[in-house]
Amino acid sequence: MSWELHHVSIVGAGMMGRSIATKVAQQGINVCLKEISMERAQECRETLETTLDHQIARFNITQAEKKAILSRISWVTQFDCAAECDLAIETVQEDFELKREIVQELDRRMPPGHPIVINTSTLSITEIAAASQNPGRVLGMHFLYPVTTTRVVEVVRGQLTKDTAYERAVEFARLLDKVPIKVFEMPGFVTTRVVLPLVNEAMHVVMEGVATAADVDLALKLGFDFRTGPLEWSDRVGLDRVLNWIQHMFQETGEARFRPCPLLKRLVRAGLLGTKTGRGFFTYDVNRRRLDRLPDDRPGLA
Amino acid sequence: MKILVLNSGSSSVKFQVIETDLERMKAHQDETLAVGQVEKIGLSDSRLVLQVPERHPYQDYREILEHRAAIEWVLRVLVDDEHGILSSTDEIGAVGHRVVHGGEEFASSVLMTPDVVSKIEACTVLAPLHNPANLRGYYAAHAILSDVPHVAVFDTAYHQTMPAHAFLYGIPFQFYTKHHLRRYGFHGTSHRFVSYRASQILGWERSDKRYITCHLGNGCSVAAIDRGRSIDTSMGFTPLEGLLMGTRSGDLDPAIIPWLIAMEEMTLHQVNTMLNKHSGLYGVSGVSSDMREVLAARSENHKRADVAFRIFSYRVRKYIGAYAAAMGGVDAVVFTGGIGEHSPEVREWALDGLSFMGLELDAAENARVRGKEAEITTPESAVKALVVPTNEEWVIARDVVRVLNDIMPSFTPPETVT
Repeated sequence: MSWELHHVSIVGAGMMGRSIATKVAQQGINVCLKEISMERAQECRETLETTLDHQIARFNITQAEKKAILSRISWVTQFDCAAECDLAIETVQEDFELKREIVQELDRRMPPGHPIVINTSTLSITEIAAASQNPGRVLGMHFLYPVTTTRVVEVVRGQLTKDTAYERAVEFARLLDKVPIKVFEMPGFVTTRVVLPLVNEAMHVVMEGVATAADVDLALKLGFDFRTGPLEWSDRVGLDRVLNWIQHMFQETGEARFRPCPLLKRLVRAGLLGTKTGRGFFTYDVNRRRLDRLPDDRPGLA
Repeated sequence: MKILVLNSGSSSVKFQVIETDLERMKAHQDETLAVGQVEKIGLSDSRLVLQVPERHPYQDYREILEHRAAIEWVLRVLVDDEHGILSSTDEIGAVGHRVVHGGEEFASSVLMTPDVVSKIEACTVLAPLHNPANLRGYYAAHAILSDVPHVAVFDTAYHQTMPAHAFLYGIPFQFYTKHHLRRYGFHGTSHRFVSYRASQILGWERSDKRYITCHLGNGCSVAAIDRGRSIDTSMGFTPLEGLLMGTRSGDLDPAIIPWLIAMEEMTLHQVNTMLNKHSGLYGVSGVSSDMREVLAARSENHKRADVAFRIFSYRVRKYIGAYAAAMGGVDAVVFTGGIGEHSPEVREWALDGLSFMGLELDAAENARVRGKEAEITTPESAVKALVVPTNEEWVIARDVVRVLNDIMPSFTPPETVT
């Protein structure tokens, strides 16, 4: 059976849903974005417009591209358009029951064989898939934020995922101009699993008073050619999210290397969550620009 | 012979049907039978517009997801009883395709054999945005019109006559041999057509005169046409070099790029988009990328619109001076493209102060001329200036005839450097 990708359904228009929708629309593919109510959809649409305006100001896109992106996204509150979509992605919060229900709703409506993609970095794809009629078409894709510029996506094969659905998801990743990294389901996949011990260790170094947060970041940036240091990276992701991930990894694996650094917990309890609250390890303005960069923390022109 | 001319972009296909052959070309009696385009390919509300002389424009909407469906739609409308102009698609004798980049491989228009098509594929690395779209149009048209010859006409071919001292950059030579990194120039069909047309208007032999042709449209470039051969042009490796354009910066100090990456923490993508889509008239004026709107703002004393206009016109003047020097003089300066044909203000500024080299603008005539062939210098002026509307589709149709009759001139490079 031939399969071409022209319509994508996305369930959940939160930060990740909007970012994926933007990228899909940018590649000329039509997107149906589902939210729970028209009011909520309207809010999300306004937030998306603000994000796109910000992208224009940073020279990432043009006014015309913004218009084209918005014109390819339709906002809905029902699952109806799933019947015509070639691939569906859910991006709702990390809630097993909710995701399971959505997968069932999609599975009931979508033509057979069209992939259903779960966007999770913590829940078990196999477990969610097993609860649906056609577990073979369920798989995971772990997009990294912001989806519009990050070049990589992990395509996650669950225990029951069939080759056809999996290969279609890989093709979808290529259509998005992304490099698909093929992974089997395992907590943290590649990216999360490898980066978390690094950021956790950086936090320990700060907590122990070995070096300041700014110097830790600068050492890694200049030493290993990182675009962003691990602590600023954590601030930008949101320290609460980083804590959630690492706690989850700790629960799943029981490995000491995933025991959350007490300093991270303390910052989260204090409400210092990073760029979104203006303070985390560093301080930021409303446009998420860092205010306390060291004089040496600039790419040299020498 | 009726020739279908196609200009395929990533989400659009522009087309014309032109009736021409050797006799008509000689008599300058080429005839445009229909002009149109399909826009928004890939969307559910793609639009087709068809204009036939003496008729009301026809338009229609439907979902067109790829180029083949677009070209099938075009052909269906062309043979339509009510709106069409052909009784059957068999009337189409050949198809001419605009191809942006021919690299160093193509110095003239060619018949699209499988070998030629694979060489065009190989040029994609030089024009990653344009060549794939051009080829999509070709594959689609070839699948439907497989019995007629298809001819490729390149934007770069005409400038292949540039000597090495004009086409090489002053960077380590290895990048030229390794990546074919050099200046190519674009708008070749336009520069070729208007210099040819200017010689006809002036009643000159083309082979003993020197022309500076200014193509000022969405993209802008100037070319030095020395006795029928392009010896230099302002666009280079990509269409970003040279003049200020609607949203493109044109010439700048390359050191600005790493400086911005460092100081503004910009990514390569951001710098690239900034230079191509957020700069030029738009970036400087903050008003618009459209010269008409910039001029309107300027007339209301908008300071940045004024300076954007001046940068634009001044750079044209600088290139005219440079190319006059390059050719040891100039006999005619030709303006074409949307701005070149319709903006007397730009022409006046660009030609201001050039009486030292024998060019005397007829200010009153210049102010009158919009979108039609005309001389805009005084009868006494030793150097002529003209407005000549461009017609790239004519050149493409005529090249189809030339290729099929085996009389296509090759713009062979004067030398190779290794």
